[in-house]
Amino acid sequence: MDGLRLLQLLQLADSALPTGALSHSFGVESLVEEGFLRVEGLEAFLTEYLKENGLLEANFCRQGFHLAKSGEDFSREWQNLNERVSAFKPARESRQGSVSLGKRLIALALQLDDFPRLRLNAGQQVHYCAVFGLLGGLLEVDEEAAVLAYLQQTTGSLISACQRLMALGQGQAALINWRLKPAMLKTAQASRENWQEAGALQCFAPLSELASMRHPNLRTRLFIS
Amino acid sequence: MSLGELPDNPATVRGRLDLLFENQEGQTILKVRRQEQPLKVVRAFPLPGGGSLVHLHNLSGGVLGGDKLEVRVEVEPGTKAQLTSTGATRLYRNLPGVEASGQLYVFSIGENGLLEYLPDQLIPFAGTRYRQQTRIELAEGAGLFWWETVAPGREARGEVFDYDLLELSVALTKGGRPLALEQSILEPKLRPLTSTARLGQFRYFSTFYMVKVGLEKTAWTRLETCLNDLAGQLSVPGETLWGASCLWSDGVVVRSVSRNGRAITRGLFEMWKLGKQELYGQTPTLPRKIY
Repeated sequence: MDGLRLLQLLQLADSALPTGALSHSFGVESLVEEGFLRVEGLEAFLTEYLKENGLLEANFCRQGFHLAKSGEDFSREWQNLNERVSAFKPARESRQGSVSLGKRLIALALQLDDFPRLRLNAGQQVHYCAVFGLLGGLLEVDEEAAVLAYLQQTTGSLISACQRLMALGQGQAALINWRLKPAMLKTAQASRENWQEAGALQCFAPLSELASMRHPNLRTRLFIS
Repeated sequence: MSLGELPDNPATVRGRLDLLFENQEGQTILKVRRQEQPLKVVRAFPLPGGGSLVHLHNLSGGVLGGDKLEVRVEVEPGTKAQLTSTGATRLYRNLPGVEASGQLYVFSIGENGLLEYLPDQLIPFAGTRYRQQTRIELAEGAGLFWWETVAPGREARGEVFDYDLLELSVALTKGGRPLALEQSILEPKLRPLTSTARLGQFRYFSTFYMVKVGLEKTAWTRLETCLNDLAGQLSVPGETLWGASCLWSDGVVVRSVSRNGRAITRGLFEMWKLGKQELYGQTPTLPRKIY
């Protein structure tokens, strides 16, 4: 991957990119509020979270990446992919959060460069994981780098959310993020090996999903999801 | 997975059940197209409003290691079918060298038809390897109440998450487009179910889909609010949690996790009552059996 592509990818995966990612906890706020998640268990939680939600989204990210090279069927395949992502996300808030970030990333990308494939039909639902992958493919960055950057970005956002929800200092947050790199690598590797298989799209995370479903009923909320 | 893709083993059985629910002068009638042991239906009970209730029997008393079972149900336009099991589905352990057992459910619900599929819990025994696939296709105006609850094992014997593999997949579609997709691979010995990323301190989990194709979005938002109010009443901190959410189109999903299987059963009935009343203006009829 050349230097320019690397720099572009780093910018897209930077938490400073104004996609709104820092406004979403994807259910983590409820897990903390209801006492299921504490600082001492955060690293273990995120390690397992990567094996479930992380792997599912890495597969969708990879599917989006490959659509960058699809032919005349792109519009239909792009819609099918995003409908599959929607169908795999049972919790409304997390699903809408994913769509919100996806749309925002597209809007930003269109300000940065000309990407005809990112121009959406009105009302089209697009998910962040799929958009990130597609954008990586359009920029012709290395596929593995794109998937890893996605995992790094989303994991970093969750850790950042936890800093605002728990007594988690910057140093400890950085250490947890650092220690999670092997788990991100394993997730990307698992995704690379099976993303085209029929049964590859899998996720078992009922407590996280329930947390997201219960989030609208929290008395006070810092996050949109 | 389709059953045809699983290798045959002479020590195991292939059971098939193929049912049709059709309309005869306003009453839903059961027609058994095919039944092969151990799967069997005995009779259909008429329900108020013209529907039909059928109990699905498994004469083996459960799914034995390597068994491949297939249930196909067609609900014709305008008919109303209610299906339930006769008791918990026991998933017996697999002997060494025996393939994973599997069940395939294929449901087709015609225009303005209604399927209520309300089975008892799945209980995976220690050493079980089991794959289950459920496909439900809905036509315009079709309705669905479908739930599934999974127990941790034979708790009374101290068996908790002692199974080897439980693979559960669900695909709800309308016109081939996905409304809800699930693919869960549970391997407790490889990936701990007690992680907060999965079940945490809870042992039972349940999913309940309520779908009615074509209903406007505001109706689902309203139902989500009602179901979440009920979820708040049914939830007991540290014991049982309930939550509900709109699907991206045409339905809602209710989820629950619990340390107690009976709490889930009771809660599912309450959710069902609320959903049936909101979507059909009717009080549901409980399947005829002892809970």
